[in-house]
Parts: sequence; C-alpha cells; structure tokens
Amino acid sequence: MDAWWQCEIPYPYVPQPVLDAADSVRASLPNRHCDPRLAADLFEEVIDEFLLCDDLGLNVLAIEHHAGINSLIGSNPMLVGILARQTRKVRILSLGTLISLRKDPVRVAEEYATADVISRGRLEIGFVKSGGTEMASANANPIHNVERYWEAIDLITKALSHHDGPFSWQGKHFTHRHVNIWPRPWQQPHPRMWSATGDPETAAEVGRRGMVHVLVLRGPDGTRRAYAAHRKARAEAGLPKVTTDNFAYAALVYVGDTEEEGRRVGSKLLWFLNTSLKSAPQYSKFLPGAAPPRAAPQIYRTRPKADGGTLSLANAEKGVPSASQNAQRLISITPEEAMAQGILFAGNPDSVYRQIMEFYDKVGGFGHLSLVGRSGPMTHVESEKGIRLFAKEVLPRLREVKPVIAE
Amino acid sequence: MTAPATIADRIDIAGLELEVLRRGAGRPILLLHGFQNPDPGARFLELLARRARIIAPSHPGFGRSPRPDGFETVYDLVRLYLALLESLPDEKVTLMGFSFGGWLAAEIAVACAHRLDRLILVDALGVKFGDRESADILDVFNTHPKEVQRRFWHDVPRFAPDYDALSDEALVSLARNWEALCLYGWHPYMYNPQLKRWLGRIAVPSLVLWGASDGIVSPDYGRAYAALIPGARFALIDAAGHAPEIEQPEMFVDHVLGFLET
Repeated sequence: MDAWWQCEIPYPYVPQPVLDAADSVRASLPNRHCDPRLAADLFEEVIDEFLLCDDLGLNVLAIEHHAGINSLIGSNPMLVGILARQTRKVRILSLGTLISLRKDPVRVAEEYATADVISRGRLEIGFVKSGGTEMASANANPIHNVERYWEAIDLITKALSHHDGPFSWQGKHFTHRHVNIWPRPWQQPHPRMWSATGDPETAAEVGRRGMVHVLVLRGPDGTRRAYAAHRKARAEAGLPKVTTDNFAYAALVYVGDTEEEGRRVGSKLLWFLNTSLKSAPQYSKFLPGAAPPRAAPQIYRTRPKADGGTLSLANAEKGVPSASQNAQRLISITPEEAMAQGILFAGNPDSVYRQIMEFYDKVGGFGHLSLVGRSGPMTHVESEKGIRLFAKEVLPRLREVKPVIAE
Repeated sequence: MTAPATIADRIDIAGLELEVLRRGAGRPILLLHGFQNPDPGARFLELLARRARIIAPSHPGFGRSPRPDGFETVYDLVRLYLALLESLPDEKVTLMGFSFGGWLAAEIAVACAHRLDRLILVDALGVKFGDRESADILDVFNTHPKEVQRRFWHDVPRFAPDYDALSDEALVSLARNWEALCLYGWHPYMYNPQLKRWLGRIAVPSLVLWGASDGIVSPDYGRAYAALIPGARFALIDAAGHAPEIEQPEMFVDHVLGFLET
C-alpha cells in the first residue's frame, strides 16, 4: 500500500461568532476575514510539511477548493507547480484542478504537462467532480457538471497523449480548434489518472476507464459499495479484473506517541468537518441538479411528512446519500463516531495501523491511503510530529500490504 | 393538496409532447410560464378563461413536460414556441409571458410579429440595463432561499410555498422546474445581451405589467423594458411581487382584459 499526505490548508482564524452568524463559511464569507499575513504563514508551514513528507518518502497530494475557510488552495496548479520543483523524490498527486469549473481543459492539460516535466515524471493527475459552493465561486452551471467532468477528462487525456500536431475538439461543452500543447508530459502516454467519487453511476465509469478510484471520508458502507460498482462495471464490460492498486481511501489520520496523544491531537482534525463544511441551503440542498428531482420530497422538507411521503430516497439514489447529505452527516460527527466509521484513524502507531487494516478488510482492500492532515487548531509542530511517526512507524508496515486482485 | 381542477392535456409540437393546460373559449392566449409551470388551480386562469381561450404549455423540463437530450437553451425554447404558433389554427394569437416566460415572449414577438395580435409581458426577464457591476435580476440560485422568497412575494407568509405541506408530486415538480430554470437561465444570467437591440421591432400593441413590490426584478426595469417596445403601455399592480397574477388575480385580469378589449 502507498500513502499520500495532504493538507487542505484550512484557515482556522475567523472568530467563531463570525462563523456562527454566517449562513455559509464557503463561497459567501467576505475575504476581509482572511488576513493575508496569516495565510502566508499557513502556506509556508504547510509547504514545509509537504517537504518533510518528501524527506521521509511519503507521497504528497494537493487538493483544490474555492473561497472558504475550509481551504486556501483555490489554485491547485500553483501548489502543484511548487511541489513539482521543491520536492525531489516522492510522487505528487493533484486531486485536483476542479475541471468542471474551468472553461478551457486544454489549459489544464498544459499545466499538468508542465508540472510532470518539472518533476521529471512524478505527477499523478486526479479529478474531482466538485459541487456545492464551488459552482457559485466559479460561476459554473451546476446542471451537466458530470457531463463537463467527463468531457474535460477526455479532452485533457487527448491533449496530453496526442503528439502529431494540432487537433480539433468540438464537443458539447468544450470547443478548441487547435490543440497542440508544449511541453508534452514526461510520462507516456500520460501520468496515471485518479477520480474521486462516491455515487454508483460515476463509480462505474471510473471502473470502465481503469482510473484509480478514491473515496473521501465515505465510511465503510459507501466505500465498499462504490468499489463494488467499479468492479461490477468492469466485469460487465468484459474488462480484466483490477488489483487493490486501483482503489484509494482518504481519511483523517493522526499518529501520536501514545494512544491518548494520537486521539487527542487527531480529534483536532474534526474541525474540518464540524466547522468548515457549513454551507447555505442554496449551495447544498437547493443546488439545482445536485440530486435527482425524485429525491426532492426527502430533501426539501424540514420534517418527514405526517401522512407518509411515498417516494424513497433509497430508490432514487440506491441507498447512497448525496454529497450534500454526506456533508450534513459529517458536520455533527464526534471523534468517537468518526473513529467508529473509518473517517478518523488516530492513536499510537500500532493502533493506527490496526484501524487502517480493519477498514481495509471491511471494504475489500485498497492500495492507497490518503491522509487528510493538519486542520483547525492543529499546530505545525503537532502536524510534523504526526507525519514523522506515520512515515517511520506505520508506512513501512503498510508497504508490506501488496496489491492483490480485488474480488 | 387537492386534485387539480383540470387534468393537464398534452400537445405535440416539433417532435415533443408537452404538458399543456387548456381553459376557456374565445380569443386565443398563449401563456408562457415563469419559474413554475402553471398551477391548474390558479384563480387568474379561472378569471381569464371566462373571456379567452388559454393555451398554457409547460416548458420542456418543467412540470410533466419531457426535455429531450440536447434541448437546453433559450434558443431551443424560442424555436419550439415559434413552431407552436405556426401550428395553431388561429391566424393571430395573444402572447402572454411571465418572468422567464416573458423573456421567451419578447424573443418570439421580435421574431414573429405576423402571428401575434397583442403582447403582454409580466415581470419579464431577458434584457440587461444596468452597468457591468449592477445585476438587474436577483441571482435566485446563489441567494439564500428565504431571501429569494422575501423578494419574490409581496405577502410572504401567505404565498411562499411550505415544503412541509406540499405533496411529493408537487415537490418533485418544484425540483424539476428549478433544475430546468437553472439549465436555461444560468449564463448569461436570465438575459440575452442581443435582445435589447431588437425590441424596437415589436409591432403589436403591447402591455407591460409589473408587481409594485417585485424584488426579483424591479418596476424600474419594467419601465425601461416597456420604453424599448414601440407604443407599449406600462402598469404597476399594487401589493404584488414577482407574480402579480397569483397575488392579485382580480386586478391582474382587469388590466389584461382592459388591454385586450381596447
């Protein structure tokens, strides 16, 4: 198993009364609440944490989110560019530029090819569907988000792998008459690609495409179901079975010297869920297209219908909660619940290793663990300590978990 | 919810089977709805149907009208309703558009004056008057739903929908309408930058009606709209927001009949 450390670079300094008074801590919270000097300190510390990962042989992962306290990484390619140059050994996963928000996927392909070349072939390219507040922040129509997602991936893939002069793209959502990027990527035909999704329909397409399939904070049931949809879609398409190397899971992870320290400091990571997910209804339950209209009776009502609504969300979504419902569930989660649900792995090294492998067994195995680190009030010193302990005490044991055919 | 007074009918047009509400007898009025497809129980329909024959389709993606793949722009809607006008047996039709449907009605009136005898726009969207840093039309998708309701209605407690009280079917319809509106109207937000230039081509008698309390798009916007349509009359309806036909049905219908019968 491989491991990837990430930090969303959240901004934990907005006073709680301001957050309590705001209907959303993303998209609409005025940026006067963001002090650029504090932001600079955060970037400096977190980039140092990424470089510590490089020293310790722990791969790094860069995300992107827009306009909120949950993350200051509004520009993924900029951080990926820094990591491409400043790290020297480890692999770098971009997870990723929010492509369904970007008007020109060809420009995204240029950014990725450049980072792959600067890093001499250490880049991996991940795609995230995006949603919620990101649509407002990026002025992107929430309808057809998934269509744009796949078309952008197709265009980026072709732009990275086509080497015979300009080609033309006249798709439904993107047109570009003259695609010919320089430099071309270091890795041929292109860097490995990842996709983050929990819903069964997208999971099936991720499977058919053979991308690395990453589930973020979904817990055992949602994760197992998504992996299963991936494998089933491959089987139905007559494609060969994949190994656990095709599956990834992202959780909050913290390792301390003692069980008590690991749990106490690790619990600080829940700030990301408890505080930074707060989102106004126009960006969540009422976001057009976020859930099928047949799910509206469950989503729009503030209480269950007394005379018994008949349309069931379970039918609508095959038992998988929507991303916004998942977020609602996570906002109020406690450390104990988070640990019980495989959303937080925290404790001493032995304990964290055991928690990871218990989750591994519950979901049918995965080849990549993404560590969501450094959040809320966790300090730079605490973060670096956790990274060191994970890299020295847990990672070597995870490396012994070899890829196997995922059944 | 009680059962609708009239079961919705269907109309075949340009290969599409649209849900349509037909009411009354007399001069034909093609009614193009706004954010919500027509409520069969609406009082203004009942009043208007005493004097006119109403044809009120649900736009593709709204209510129970299907929206085929690739049908996703105002361009498609305008072509669809031009085809519908051509298919009606009446030589001339009165066109009445509400809000988003008012935008469609203005586009159609510019393109097809010969099939229309009158045009009525009600709190219509579709054009841009303000400067680049002033949005004329409230961004209903990026504004808190409570604020949208407050600005939509004059009398919020009486008219804003109570999702807890609505039937499953009504909620599914609301969500479908919301999705379709977003698809058609997201960008540029609820207007066609080219339309203003062409409104002067509208050659039929026109009435522009506006809810005096409309906070989605202001009465001043309505006045500016009317000023671009040659000879158009403008009238405010007091104690009404973005949907004066719902909040003040009697006054609304008085205005409409007064205009049609002069």
